[in-house]
Amino acid sequence: MLGVGLAYGRTGAGGGPAGPPVPVIATTTVVADLVRCVAGDRVAVECLMPPGVDPHVYRATPRDAGRLLAARLVVASGLRLEGRLATLLERLGERVPVVHVADGLPRDRLLEAAPGIPDPHVWFDAALWSETPRLVADALASVDPVSAEHYRARADACAARLLSLDHSIRGAIASIPRDRRVLVTSHDAFRYFGRAYGIEVVGVQGTNTSAEAGLGDINRLVELIVSRRIPAVFAETSVTDRDVVALVEGAAARGRRVRFGGRLYADSLGAAGSGAETLAAALQANTALIVAALREPVADAAPPSDAMGIGP
Amino acid sequence: MTASFAGVPCLAVAFPATGLAYNTLVVLVAVATVGCAGGVVGTLALLRKRPLLGDAAAHATLVGAAAIVLLTGRRDLPTLLTGAAASSFAALCLLALIRRCTRTRDDAATAILIGVSFGAGVSVVTWMMARGLPGSGTIEQLLLGHAAAVTARDATLLAAVALATVLVVAATLKETVAVAFDAAFAAAGGWPVGLIDNAVTALVVLMVVVGLPTAGGVLVSALLVIPPVAARQWTERVGPLLVLAGLVGLASAVLGVLASIAWPGLPTGPAVVLSAALICLVSILGAPGRGLVARRWRERELVRRWAAGRLTEEGLALERGLHEPWGLAAGPSITVPESRRP
Repeated sequence: MLGVGLAYGRTGAGGGPAGPPVPVIATTTVVADLVRCVAGDRVAVECLMPPGVDPHVYRATPRDAGRLLAARLVVASGLRLEGRLATLLERLGERVPVVHVADGLPRDRLLEAAPGIPDPHVWFDAALWSETPRLVADALASVDPVSAEHYRARADACAARLLSLDHSIRGAIASIPRDRRVLVTSHDAFRYFGRAYGIEVVGVQGTNTSAEAGLGDINRLVELIVSRRIPAVFAETSVTDRDVVALVEGAAARGRRVRFGGRLYADSLGAAGSGAETLAAALQANTALIVAALREPVADAAPPSDAMGIGP
Repeated sequence: MTASFAGVPCLAVAFPATGLAYNTLVVLVAVATVGCAGGVVGTLALLRKRPLLGDAAAHATLVGAAAIVLLTGRRDLPTLLTGAAASSFAALCLLALIRRCTRTRDDAATAILIGVSFGAGVSVVTWMMARGLPGSGTIEQLLLGHAAAVTARDATLLAAVALATVLVVAATLKETVAVAFDAAFAAAGGWPVGLIDNAVTALVVLMVVVGLPTAGGVLVSALLVIPPVAARQWTERVGPLLVLAGLVGLASAVLGVLASIAWPGLPTGPAVVLSAALICLVSILGAPGRGLVARRWRERELVRRWAAGRLTEEGLALERGLHEPWGLAAGPSITVPESRRP
């Protein structure tokens, strides 16, 4: 079995039996990165949502529908992340195979956003996400059986890389003193991250960005920041940061200086040239920001000692 | 990083004395001043019989806010509101042009403009979103409002514009009211009706724009219409009407903010509008002069007197009162005769 796989993999890489690349569309940047990792050059991966787009609120254009129909396979993140694409993807499923990767994860390892509704932001737990390359490989194999072994071999390599990433994130977060391991962000995207790496996560908005944060939520969080002496709060690249600015200001009025920890990659990876085009790079960038902002305590009250800012 | 702006000091100083959470105070200041000024300016629009002016202005803000983000790449609130004000004012100028140059009915022209400008706005935002351009989320927040995220600097800006608007209304009261009541008469008297009309339009645009961050484009026009209608139930005179409308706006703002804190999940903007609607409902039912209850009571009184054979001049006067249409411009105000009270 292994021998066959290797043989296929090698000949394939040498340009043997593979035809033209299989057109595949991924919905979000995170899933596109996953498919690229698994498929290599056998597949032409196109990402439906450009970097920086919030997948919760993305609406498909008519052109998108055309692009989706032209694909041999559509890979979606799933667990209702693509809220406003759901019906389109469902109807599309009758014409083109659609795979929702996160839907294939074991239910008992998922968190709930609300009773009965799983939290879709699974990729922040690198170990949990390492289950997905195999699912993608199976889906790719079903539309391109010739390269099946190629996909499976690459999937195993992707999973191994995710597991080593998981290990390094765990180590980095552990370097933050325990009482300061609190991550305050724009919306509740980081609960898997929190569970996996032992950091408490508090979001201004709920799990879904299309719901509005109320004034009561802001007041509650300011209270939390002040009473727990949380040194920094974070915004996200794909969500507006106005809530977080209000938090910083509210805490300042209570005599507590809170650093703006920077913008985390949440529901979208970085644009080309940002240095966070892949999930691994984005997770590492996030971890670096979090560690830099939370490792040092913030001086109490008025003394102007916070001039150091965010770090690199 | 954002701890010190102009305007923040006074809020920060006032904050410990109020016993409110700081962010509550900031939002309260912003929403209350905007609500109050909205009531005052809305009264002018209503007197001019153009209650949909605010709606037209609000729906035209989206395209300007989106365009300015595209052009400048900045998405701070003052920039967004500048763009919103520009497109909104342009749309209302277009409306005036349609009114003057075509034979389209006023309400039809307004409806067309609302649809077209809003459609243009949604198109630009969707296009931005499809391109992954940053800022589309921020603009979408303007559509539904996001009061909780108002910072002290925003609040200072909104309150300053709202106060300036009220001052302008107070300073030009005679002129604006004269035009609102009888434009033809005012024109005959040598008033610059066109100029004054444009000024009122500009005020409406300003109010709509400063209302966007809290109430959102879809609801902000309600802040210009509901308080004046509520206030109209209680008074026949213009001065008190303006003051009352401002107070109703203020009260709804405070009620709405408190309600949105008390019930998590209730967004602030809609809570303010619903509070205004509640005050309006109470006014329409219970106001002593025009209220439905009072009128029904007078009607029965009339029948009773008729039956008693005492229908006189006073009865006819009363009947005129019952059928007086809404809106001050409908005719000379009625002085309530002593005999009308039982």
